[in-house]
Amino acid sequence: MLTRSVLLNRAAPLSDAERGRLETAIADVRTFRAGETAVRQDTPIQVSLLLVEGFMTRHVDARDGKRHLVAVHVPGDFVDLHAFTLKQLDHDVGALTDVSVAVFTHESLEKILVDDAALAKRLWFITMLDAAQHRQWIYRLSSLTALQRVAHFLCETHARLLAVGQVRAHGFTLPMTQSDIGEVCSLTNVHVSRVLRDLREMGLCQLRSSQVQILDIQGLVTAGLFEPGYLYLNPHVASQAVGHNGDFHDR
Amino acid sequence: MTDNRSSLRPREDAGVATAIDGVVVLDGPDGVAVTMTPDAAAQTADSLHAAANEARRHAGLGPGAQEGAGPGA
Repeated sequence: MLTRSVLLNRAAPLSDAERGRLETAIADVRTFRAGETAVRQDTPIQVSLLLVEGFMTRHVDARDGKRHLVAVHVPGDFVDLHAFTLKQLDHDVGALTDVSVAVFTHESLEKILVDDAALAKRLWFITMLDAAQHRQWIYRLSSLTALQRVAHFLCETHARLLAVGQVRAHGFTLPMTQSDIGEVCSLTNVHVSRVLRDLREMGLCQLRSSQVQILDIQGLVTAGLFEPGYLYLNPHVASQAVGHNGDFHDR
Repeated sequence: MTDNRSSLRPREDAGVATAIDGVVVLDGPDGVAVTMTPDAAAQTADSLHAAANEARRHAGLGPGAQEGAGPGA
């Protein structure tokens, strides 16, 4: 089921009927290669994409020539649901890895809006989740130190992947380079490298070959000042995300 | 009522600069996290030092106040 991960383990999950309805609204499945741009800024859009497999990013190409990652997407995320109302984006959406996406025409989303108020409310919830994460990213960049930023981002990614069942054996796949993490945290490569070394030496986590191994989730949460409330997880997963029960890493 | 808007007040804790692989990394205070070339770091340090002395003169405090009273101030 392509919609399996949508709002999985969130505070406002989809009912089986809603998930079925969403599934039937899928018009197509597409794939993009790592590095490919799936949605271009300022281009008229008639469809919205649900990430089924892989990682994607939202990024802004600034006038100074620098790319700024403003969101990282994991399976179950609608990467451009806001395009349903905006009809064009103020940022690009790119594939961080090889990805597959389910395609929803805006016509089909319009039909859900008209015919199924409960499901429409869930879709609205998804865009509100986006906004909550963007607020948290602003907080992270404006108020946290370099180490806190990286720890916070790793905790956030861990929590989101926990929700969709992609955390295994104390760790998860994070197909991002140090440069990518630097773009997320507004840090240089050398700064990210130093922070990752510090986190490893503190016994909190290590990143090697795109694999994040969490050694001490509670310590990492404390280091990153991470509070998962803004992710609107269900209580069980929210507890796991901060290591408040012993089996945080296996689902 | 307690005012928790700490970011709106001057920090009393200092940032920490570290040399790594030919560049200078400055951490803190608060959300400061920048990497500079050695020249940029040295210029920033000079500028900070001068501004700190000037700020002390404003408050009539410390070595800045004394420097401010001397020739060329």
